[in-house]
Amino acid sequence: MLDILMSVLVAGLTTGALYALATVGLSLVWGSMGMLNMAHAAMLTLGGYAAFTATTTLGLPAFAGFAAAILFGAMAGGLLYVLIVRNLLKNDKATFESNVMIATVGIGIALENTILLTYGGQPLKQPLSVDGVLKLGPLNLPYQNIVIILVVVVMMAVIALLLGKTRMGRAIRATAQNRDAAQLMGVPVNRVYFQVLVLSGAVAGICGVMVSSMTQLSPPLGNDPMLKAFIMCVVAGLGNLPGAVAAAFGLALLEAFIQYAAGARWGFPSLLFVVIAVLIWRPSGLFGRTQIHRM
Amino acid sequence: MSDIAKPPVLSLHQVVSGYNELTVLKGVSFDVAAGELVTVVGPNGHGKSTLLKTISGLVPLNGGSISIDGRPTLTKPHAVAALGVAHVPQGDMLFPEMSVLENLLMGAYLAPGKTEIDRRLEEVYALLPKLADRRNQVASSLSGGERRMVGIGRGLMMAGRILLIDEPSLGLAPLIIEQIYGVISELSRSGRTILLVEENPARVADLADRLHLLDDGDIVWSGPPADLLARDELLATYLGG
Repeated sequence: MLDILMSVLVAGLTTGALYALATVGLSLVWGSMGMLNMAHAAMLTLGGYAAFTATTTLGLPAFAGFAAAILFGAMAGGLLYVLIVRNLLKNDKATFESNVMIATVGIGIALENTILLTYGGQPLKQPLSVDGVLKLGPLNLPYQNIVIILVVVVMMAVIALLLGKTRMGRAIRATAQNRDAAQLMGVPVNRVYFQVLVLSGAVAGICGVMVSSMTQLSPPLGNDPMLKAFIMCVVAGLGNLPGAVAAAFGLALLEAFIQYAAGARWGFPSLLFVVIAVLIWRPSGLFGRTQIHRM
Repeated sequence: MSDIAKPPVLSLHQVVSGYNELTVLKGVSFDVAAGELVTVVGPNGHGKSTLLKTISGLVPLNGGSISIDGRPTLTKPHAVAALGVAHVPQGDMLFPEMSVLENLLMGAYLAPGKTEIDRRLEEVYALLPKLADRRNQVASSLSGGERRMVGIGRGLMMAGRILLIDEPSLGLAPLIIEQIYGVISELSRSGRTILLVEENPARVADLADRLHLLDDGDIVWSGPPADLLARDELLATYLGG
């Protein structure tokens, strides 16, 4: 019994790590720009395919595949800012949130279909995956799960250091907390927005490699993690980064145990149930702060 | 034409600005010379805060010109900050989830290096010792007076050519107001160039070199504080007695 529970725990932690990575990118952009990036799923998919192309088609070593995922994800984020977001920000600020959401839905569909046209719809194996199992007594730990958890822990540490200890990170947090005040301090907020989307794209690229290493590469690869990440963001409170990570692990563990206890088909409905309950009980999320708008 | 003998640090000429279709400032002109403390007084809702926001670039300039040390200011607030304008806005506008130290460090965002940042930090802590005690406290947990001190400290960390302070007494207890004005007085004595916005002229009577009375987006009277306080008809008409 204990070994089964441990296996469920490991599966839950691995899924939680993947959700956390997907959520961080989404939450970072929402928190600092008030922008729900609906193209995040396609950026994640792009990262997975970039790693595939670098290692399988071009025959480059694994680390180059990983670097390609980061590079293409970051480039997608940068281009998204330069071509779309920058121009939407010049218009009425009041309509930015809805306009950018609609625009990124279109970008996401276009990117996913470009991938479909380039690689076809047939699922492909992600070459950046590790086979084998680590046996610890009665417990079997797949190496891939260990790699995912380690990569996510390292990524979280890097992002936490970047946001907490660097001048760039402080500028990102300052812009998120008070855009006008940040500008008064000399922070060029448009450059901060560009940096945030590049960073979010790079994280999405890595997430794409990790997700496809557990499943397979396919054009709609990012849609499921994106949907789950959105659920985590809403439960945590949109834009709350540490809360989003906590929600990702908490909900992934809940999902894993419900799937084990009640059957796989009850996993996703249980997440939706949690979201509805949280929205009724705490509309601004478990870790979010209530915003009062004066009329 | 300049209304003072020394070359101005800040110069406003026929400044017109506002929000979309609403024009708030209707041709404001005055200068602030190095080391001066100039105060703009006036009733609520007549453009005092808009004036400071226009200088710092938060509200677009629709007409006239603003210059710092003879150089015209730019339209983006971060570029205006780089010219040496340090704006301490009304309502603090701190970064609520950052510590006091991080808020102060944001003030030194454009500072050239760590040594310079440390020097400015020492200066601010010497002037506002309470901030040193509170350095690791999250800004949102501070009292109103402490938040105002952080706002002023953050403005000082910018080490700008001119400090714009918007209604520092707003919403504070009399004892705290006295402390805040004590700090402003010390800054003025140390030679800082300050443009202060205040509703109550009596509060700045001993401090300001000159007062400008702003009414309905225009300067209607300028002179020494004592002269305004002696003009009962002006006080009654524009400031409600």
